[in-house]
Amino acid sequence: MNMFSSLMLASLSVLTLPIMSSILNTHKNSTYPHHVKNIISYAFITSLVPTMMFIHSGQETIISNWHWMTIQTLKLSLSFKLDYFSMIFVPVALFVTWSIMEFSLWYMHSDPYITRFFKYLLTFLITMMILVTANNLFQLFIGWEGVGIMSFLLIGWWYGRTDANTAALQAILYNRIGDIGFIMAMAWFLFNTNTWDLQQIFMLDPNLTNLPLLGLLLAATGKSAQFGLHPWLPSAMEGPTPVSALLHSSTMVVAGVFLLIRFHPLMENNKTIQSLTLCLGAITTLFTAICALTQNDIKKIIAFSTSSQLGLMIVTIGINQPYLAFLHICTHAFFKAMLFMCSGSIIHSLNDEQDIRKMGGLFNAMPFTTTSLIIGSLALTGMPFLTGFYSKDLIIETANTSYTNAWALLMTLIATSLTAVYSTRIIFFALLGQPRFLPLTTINENNPFLINSIKRLLIGSIFAGFFISNNIYPTTIPEMTMPIYMKLTALTVTILGFTLALELSLITHNLKLEHPTNMFKFSNLLGYYPTIMHRLPPLANLSMSQKSASLLLDSIWLENILPKSISQFQMKTSILISTQKGQIKLYFLSFLITLTLSMLLFNLHE
Amino acid sequence: MLKIIIPTIMLMPLTWLSKKNMIWINTTTYSLLISLISLSLLNQPNNNSLNFSLMFFSDPLSAPLLVLTTWLLPLMLMASQHHLSKEPLIRKKLYITMLAMLQTFLIMTFTATELISFYILFEATLVPTLIIITRWGNQTERLNAGLYFLFYTLVGSLPLLVALISIQSLTGSLHFLLIQYWNQALPDSWSNIFLWLACMMAFMVKMPLYGLHLWLPKAHVEAPIAGSMVLAAILLKLGGYGMLRITMMLNPQTNFMAYPFLMLSLWGMIMTSSICLRQTDLKSLIAYSSVSHMALVIVAVLIQTPWSYMGATALMIAHGLTSSMLFCLANSNYERTHSRTMILARGLQTLLPLMAAWWLLASLTNLALPPSINLIGELFVVMSSFSWSNITIILMGANITITALYSLYMLITTQRGKYTHHINSIKPSFTRENALMALHMTPLLLLSLNPKIILGFTY
Repeated sequence: MNMFSSLMLASLSVLTLPIMSSILNTHKNSTYPHHVKNIISYAFITSLVPTMMFIHSGQETIISNWHWMTIQTLKLSLSFKLDYFSMIFVPVALFVTWSIMEFSLWYMHSDPYITRFFKYLLTFLITMMILVTANNLFQLFIGWEGVGIMSFLLIGWWYGRTDANTAALQAILYNRIGDIGFIMAMAWFLFNTNTWDLQQIFMLDPNLTNLPLLGLLLAATGKSAQFGLHPWLPSAMEGPTPVSALLHSSTMVVAGVFLLIRFHPLMENNKTIQSLTLCLGAITTLFTAICALTQNDIKKIIAFSTSSQLGLMIVTIGINQPYLAFLHICTHAFFKAMLFMCSGSIIHSLNDEQDIRKMGGLFNAMPFTTTSLIIGSLALTGMPFLTGFYSKDLIIETANTSYTNAWALLMTLIATSLTAVYSTRIIFFALLGQPRFLPLTTINENNPFLINSIKRLLIGSIFAGFFISNNIYPTTIPEMTMPIYMKLTALTVTILGFTLALELSLITHNLKLEHPTNMFKFSNLLGYYPTIMHRLPPLANLSMSQKSASLLLDSIWLENILPKSISQFQMKTSILISTQKGQIKLYFLSFLITLTLSMLLFNLHE
Repeated sequence: MLKIIIPTIMLMPLTWLSKKNMIWINTTTYSLLISLISLSLLNQPNNNSLNFSLMFFSDPLSAPLLVLTTWLLPLMLMASQHHLSKEPLIRKKLYITMLAMLQTFLIMTFTATELISFYILFEATLVPTLIIITRWGNQTERLNAGLYFLFYTLVGSLPLLVALISIQSLTGSLHFLLIQYWNQALPDSWSNIFLWLACMMAFMVKMPLYGLHLWLPKAHVEAPIAGSMVLAAILLKLGGYGMLRITMMLNPQTNFMAYPFLMLSLWGMIMTSSICLRQTDLKSLIAYSSVSHMALVIVAVLIQTPWSYMGATALMIAHGLTSSMLFCLANSNYERTHSRTMILARGLQTLLPLMAAWWLLASLTNLALPPSINLIGELFVVMSSFSWSNITIILMGANITITALYSLYMLITTQRGKYTHHINSIKPSFTRENALMALHMTPLLLLSLNPKIILGFTY
């Protein structure tokens, strides 16, 4: 027995220390954020040891710690699965979080609730760790919902803004729709395999897995913002930039892809689900890439680019290569988090200006950010020997040489080319050319928190792909030999995208202003999807609940028919039957008349 | 069992003999002690029940509900203090007496061994509740609400009396413990269908079943805080408890009689959740959310599998604590803004950050965030309904989504956004209020560590 599992547990449990200390109030508030950042770096360094040991020995482990309860035949215990995916992802996530925490020290330094912000981020990290290391579905669900709720809290961080609250609610809504699928899959597995433990499910290898896998695909669609449930991801950019960097690029949004990778042993035998996954991924990657083309908000562009990359990961699962998808998750985490941090650096320096049309010429003012942004963009597009190349190139190659749906592959190729286009657009508008921002803004990027955090991810964006891809051992072997034109396809389309975008952007200076075309409107208004889906169904739903559920059924039918009509009926009949009508005046008058009459009559008798 | 019942009865003389400034402290402390004593009932060493006498018993189903009842009395007392601060002393004492009386009846209802005595005590709980609603409610509509409350429940439960007498003459006993072993299948006849209806309707109205739920929002909205708390937390659960108990003797009629009620509950669950989305009145929203959650319990009880029974029991306890906490939070808003309208309380997070944390926790448990016991309850119900019929997952899923939406809508409307000027001068939250919320939240969190004890008799 070596120290493998103990070290891993130590690295996970050290994360809970700052939460504990905040409950016990042992830490001074002013140093708390630094404390959190340090703890995460310790956790990262600790987690490196078991990861190295894992890479060396390849020994997968399951730890069962605490028996929670046994319900009839189902045993639920706290158990961790330390296999390839969790062992590689944990250090990557910790590394990225460490940098983002340091970045937040700079970005959020003027926020009065910075301590709470760090607590939220840390809680999010813990739930994410629960998610990736979980060995049974219930534990996975805890992490799954946990990251959803933390994303709600963090998107709505500036709670005074209506937009932030709406975006937070939107994120929860789309995630919840995905959760239906997750719960259905849980129910199905319980019903058919009588267990929620992953290894038992895979061992039993149930037949006819269409239903649970559809559920899981729905769950992944919600969490990873695939087409249909995608609008929450760009809206989530209402949150602070560190949140976008951590949750909405590198960790939380890949949870859906991660779930599908986890369930790959079931998926690899089910061709229906695979082609469904492939098509879903292809639509997402193309659609969101198109949306990214015409956005002007720098964060929105990067968000759509994230969505597009997530689509690419789903495509990879669709072509039966979970290891490549996982590789892309890891490499993507580095450069996408860095791109968000660079955009955060620009936004902060330009006094919260997010519109790329009002930037320009920043390569003089912010050389370091410019360098990082360009390297990040190149890594994203799959420039050879940067991080993104190792996963993206492999994915495109494998896709090209596989015998699956050619339509989906074509969509993916176009999206790959568009990646280069919108990356060029950011670089061209934000960094090159003449400055278009206000001349009096004080631009300063020389804060060690900013520089160090970006630098760390910059190194990651250059080398991480090489290291991780060296330690990957795919179960389904990708094609080893192929014609040279196939090998160069990915590179060619990317370069094509670059050149075209650059040419077009240069030409735009000399063109006269025209009315936007329909294609531009489609892209700029996000394919009309939010306009339609965020207006019609909610309106129908809410007016249904108002008119039919509340007014028609509750107030009219149920209230009038049962209680009111009964009481009305009683009232009417009692009035009808009773002889006493309550007309006091008349009674008294008749009484008086009789009395006087009789008196008169008696008197007259004399 | 007398060691819980007699101290609870003695709460009344305690109230009347206490000095003026001690009435709240004495009764709260004393009732908290009673609830600590009742905790020992949660330890059910053998699988059957703990029989204390011929009259009273407790088993894994009634014990959690009983503990919830005793736990809630100190909380109700704490919550009502501000509401009653302007009343004369004698009325305060009367109010506390009513609460103690209600508590006594409830304890005896949950522990009764005999169906007739259960029935009598079940009806007896109406009296103090009615007095609390109609005497201490805030608006004039309280009288109407009291009327609805009384009539719905009475109309539902009178047939039960007839049915019970008929069963008594048929089988010779209405003893819960005997019924378990004396269980005979009812012959398939028209009269037995009516017997089934008579037995179930009383509890369905109490739950309430969709369609018979109108009394609940009215009573909840008009009742004073303690009334809302006890209604949501315990009185609704009487229905669930009764259904769980009585379905044992109604086989095999339940197998086919359940369908219309299952449909109605599944439909009603969506409808009432949708109504929540359009509510502007905070208390009414929480009340409708109770109806929607209780519909899940009805579904679970009618499906009649071990998993669904566990889910029903867990959901009842979880919902008892959560909804009671939500009512307390609504009341703390009401005491500050003097309105139940949600939009008037927006932006409270800026002013009362700790209260916002309680709001957040309460909303999260209400939408069943894992690993809270609300989730365990809901998950078990969803599992059992899925295995009953796969299609129900669509309705259940829709309900889960809508529940999350209205819970967070409630949270966002009351806590987030820009604060309005009229709440500039509100009082800060009292320690009493924070303690109240903490006492709701702690059991919820602790129970999720060990949910075994609230999973009922099928665990």
